[in-house]
Parts: sequence; C-alpha cells; structure tokens
Amino acid sequence: MNPVEIRVAPHEPWYKYGVAFLLMEMAIAIAVSAYSLYMTFNGLGGFPGKH
Amino acid sequence: MHSHKVEQLIIATVGFFWCFLMWFSTAAFSPSIAATYHLTIKDLGLLASSAIWMAPIGRIVAGWASDRFGAPRTFAVILAGCGLVSIASAYTTNYEMLFAERVIVAIAGVSFVVGIQHVAQWFDSHEIGTAEGLYAGTGNVGAGVGALLLPRIFGTDYHRAFLWLGAIALIIAVWYLIRGNAAKTVERRIAARRGSDVRGTVFVWSRFIAIALMLAYAMSFGLEIAMNAWLPGYFTRGFHGDLLALGFSSVAGLQIAAGTFAAVESFNASLFRPFAGFMSDLFQRKGWTPLPFIAKELPYAPRLHWLGIALILITLAMIGLTVAGVYGSLPWSVAVLVAFGIFLSFGTGGTFALVPLLFPDRPGIAAGFIGGVSTAGGIVYPLIYAGSADIHMGYLYVALYMFVPFVLFYFWAARYERHPEEHGLFGRGLASQGA
Repeated sequence: MNPVEIRVAPHEPWYKYGVAFLLMEMAIAIAVSAYSLYMTFNGLGGFPGKH
Repeated sequence: MHSHKVEQLIIATVGFFWCFLMWFSTAAFSPSIAATYHLTIKDLGLLASSAIWMAPIGRIVAGWASDRFGAPRTFAVILAGCGLVSIASAYTTNYEMLFAERVIVAIAGVSFVVGIQHVAQWFDSHEIGTAEGLYAGTGNVGAGVGALLLPRIFGTDYHRAFLWLGAIALIIAVWYLIRGNAAKTVERRIAARRGSDVRGTVFVWSRFIAIALMLAYAMSFGLEIAMNAWLPGYFTRGFHGDLLALGFSSVAGLQIAAGTFAAVESFNASLFRPFAGFMSDLFQRKGWTPLPFIAKELPYAPRLHWLGIALILITLAMIGLTVAGVYGSLPWSVAVLVAFGIFLSFGTGGTFALVPLLFPDRPGIAAGFIGGVSTAGGIVYPLIYAGSADIHMGYLYVALYMFVPFVLFYFWAARYERHPEEHGLFGRGLASQGA
C-alpha cells in the first residue's frame, strides 16, 4: 500500500458513489454541529417544537 | 446464492447501525431513567459505563466467531439475542433488572468486528479503506442518531423505544441471515476459518506497537463510546442552569437539549472517520513526517505521524472541554465538542489505516486485540468523570494522567526504523513467528 499503489489502483463503478456518500455524511455532521451551536444561543427547545 | 459486494456492505452497515442504536439507546434516555428511579450522579456514571462492560472480551470472541461460523450467522445471533432482551427490558419496572437487561443489550456493540470481518471478506485491498470507512463511519452514527432522534420520537417513554428497537433488530437479523453471504469466494472463507492460532495471538498481543495502537484506539474509539454514554448526563447536570435559561425546563426538554449537544461529538467522530483515512493516505502520498522521535524511514511512517498528531489533538481537546466547562460556557463547550469529535475520528481512522500494514498476516487477531481491549477505556473514563468532585474536571484528569503517558508510549513504540512488529515482550523467538 505504497504511494504508487494508491495513485494507480483502478476504482470500480461503485467507488465514486461511495465517495459521494462519504461527502454527504460529512455535510450532515457539519449541519448537526451548526444546529447544536445555534441551539446553545437560542434555545429553540429543539425540533419539532418547544419543550 | 448470487450476491454483490455492495449488497453485503449495505447489510453489514445497516446491521451495525442498528446495533449501535440499541447499544446507546440507554444513554439517550438516561435523564428519563434517572428521573424515574431517582438516580444519583454516581448511578448515572455506572449506567453509562455499563454499556461497555461486555465489549472488550465480547469483541475478541465475536471476531473469532465470525471467522469460525461466518459473519452472517454471527451477526444474526447478536441482533436477535440483543433484540429479544431489549423487548424484555421494555416491560421491566425494577431498576436492578432493567440495569442487567441493558448490560445484555449492550452486547450489540461487539458487532463492530463481525462487520469489519464481513466487509474484508468481500472487498479487495485497493478499495478496502473506503469500504470499511463507509461501514464503520455510517454504522457508528447510530449512536448520534439515537441521542438526537430517540428523545424526539419517544419523549420520556423509553419503554416504547426499547420495544421498537428490539422488534426491528429481529427483522434485520432475519434479513442478514437470508441475504448475507460470508465471503466473496470459497477460498477466502476457508482461509478465514483456518486463520488464527494461540501462538499467533500471543505474538500480536505482546508487540509494543500493537499495544501502542491499542492505547491509541482506547484514546479515540474507547473515548468516543465513553462520551456517547456520558455526555447526555453531563450536559443535564453540568449545564443545568444554562439549559433552564434557554427554556428547557421539563425532563423531556432537558433530555432533548442534552441529547442534541451530545450528538455533536458522536456525529463528527463517526462521519469524519473516512476523512481521517483520506488524510492518512495524503500523509502517505506526500511523505509527511513532521513529528520528532517517530520513525521516518518505514514504508508507512507518514501514517504513524498522522496518528501521532491525532493523539496530541485529542489530548488538547480534552483539556479544552474542562476549560470551557469550568468557565461555565455552554456555547464554548459545544464548540470544543465539535473539534473534539473530529479529532476522535482522526484517531479511529488513523489507527485502522495502520493495523493491516503492521500485521498483514494476522489482521483479524490484530483488529480483535486493538478494537476489543481498547473499549475498556469506555468503562474507565465515565467512572473517573463521575468520581471527580467537579463534574468538569474529569476530562483534565484523564488527559494528564492517562493520555499523556499513552502518547509518550506511542512515540517510544513507533520509533523503530526497521520492523517495529519484531519488538515486544517475549523477544526474538516469538518475533520470528511473525515473519
């Protein structure tokens, strides 16, 4: 698993969808973090309503 | 039965996701359970740590069982067994009985190594990192989803939640059994069954670098699961006044607020894990070796350096949590928690980017040791947090008295420029076993 192998390893068709899914997961993590931080200032009571 | 590897990846990921959801569903409802049974902070710490009691030995056994009997049968037994006990716990009204049943449900957490083995049996080396990243990262997020959504869906009715979680686990168990296939080829299946022996196990367990990686995983994944179980109770107790000021006055409201803040750590630690693997690859491609003492000539030296950086960042983030807590700043505490979760993912992703390279002939034994024993950290940390006089100081104590020595040991064990796996407790006789 040296640098050359990483560059030349051919990827199968499923791989690009896998990477896209990973990016989507990171976006979810960022969104959850932003929502939680927003809640520390505003105390909405949380989705789906006030508590 | 004809199957595609992506189908096997999806089955393993869904099974692991649900196991993680069941594993930490107790923590998601800890404020409700505490209110029902009038639990003290020490009781909460014990409840939090109990989620991990079965993991260390359970993961070692589960790794062996998946090699011996195949991942589908092993995973189905775990899902069905834990699902049935979860259903039973929904009807329990005695705290001691509930505690015992939830300890048994927490066995679901051992499924991690079963899915790792299952995915490894289907994917080739050039794509194994992404496949395992998708499996581990997506499955781990079950804990965050539990903290975020379960209190919103079920309110304080943890009985109904445990019932539904158990019932769906039974359905997934049947699906896994019917559609799951142990390996891509018969040859792989036979090789895995033949795989491990006692001598090989002793060899891996006694290597300094394996012990260092186990401690690194205890600092990352062990800490991640400890925090999953601990944080809802921490925010409820440690920032009670802030939560009241924000309008969260009822038990249900406190549970939602605490769960939302706790989910930050879990979501980031899980969903950034594949990025950590990418960074390990990037260090490798660029040949970056910025840290002192750690080997610079090994073929995988840059990956050792990346993990070293992750361990330092985790230690600093722990100190940051204490500082934010002592200053009583809820926003800063959550902000530090965001960074903390990302640093944890660097540690988990960085560790398992190294394990197959260091022990190419015994990846199963190494993964069982590193992924299993390290979870003991998840038992110890909440007990230290709960035992501290100030609820915010536990993070600092763990960082100073455990993580600093762990990091120093990692630097020491990773300093060998040639075959670090030959250095261990039982000298060269056993070392030749590893060749």
